[in-house]
Amino acid sequence: MSDFRESQNKAHPNKTNTLMTGIILLLIFIISIQIWFLYSALNNALERNLDIAIATFLGSFVLALVSFWLIRYLPDPREGKIKRK
Amino acid sequence: MKEKNQEIFSETWKDDFPIQQQEAVHVSRREFAKFLGLLSGTLALGNAGIIIKSILFPSQKLKGEHFVCNQNEVPAGGMKQFELQLDKTIPYILIHLKDGQWRAFEQKCTHLSCAVRYVPEMDKIQCPCHNGYFDARSGVVLQGPPPRPLPRLDVILKDGKVFVAEMKNKT
Ligand code: FES
Repeated sequence: MSDFRESQNKAHPNKTNTLMTGIILLLIFIISIQIWFLYSALNNALERNLDIAIATFLGSFVLALVSFWLIRYLPDPREGKIKRK
Repeated sequence: MKEKNQEIFSETWKDDFPIQQQEAVHVSRREFAKFLGLLSGTLALGNAGIIIKSILFPSQKLKGEHFVCNQNEVPAGGMKQFELQLDKTIPYILIHLKDGQWRAFEQKCTHLSCAVRYVPEMDKIQCPCHNGYFDARSGVVLQGPPPRPLPRLDVILKDGKVFVAEMKNKT
């Protein structure tokens, strides 16, 4: 079996760290936008404005998909150790 | 030591039933990130909920004409409070402007729902809570924190009686 991955990880021990922080920051960014959307949708509900509610829902839905997709790429620092066996 | 580590990491059930209390309360960054993803899904659901609610349960509209009072009960420059019983009770004010026109607005300020009142000296509607002012003719915000104009009703005069109805042409 190739030990490419393992030697890569050894050469760049900070990589998982950076990835993890990057993903978490992206997620927080996405969530902030979603909160903003939700807030404006609620505000517009008072005015019975359906268009904005639909637009913000679409935006929020797409952002949620993006965040699910991002989660798939979460690095697991323990992975190398499990797979070795 | 290496052997031992391998053993611990390969048994995933130990993640869910840790032996040490320290491990039980520990939240890894992975878990935190997954939680953020969950939160993001929930927010999207919340947005969907708003749409569903506004399609399935639209707020009830005033049907037909609603009798308020006799025309001579409100002098020019005067104001009268009345209530409409829709899906909830909503307070309204009827205004007899000094030039003889009539207007009806919801009494709840669009800022934080204080009761607004008509001030004949200024010919404006005032919200005393944070000094918001609305135009007495259109309900448009003139000054202060309110974000939206006051919801308005049509006023219909018929042989000395005052009726209100849902606005026909929203402008
Ligand atoms: S509640 Fe009317 S101005 Fe704030």
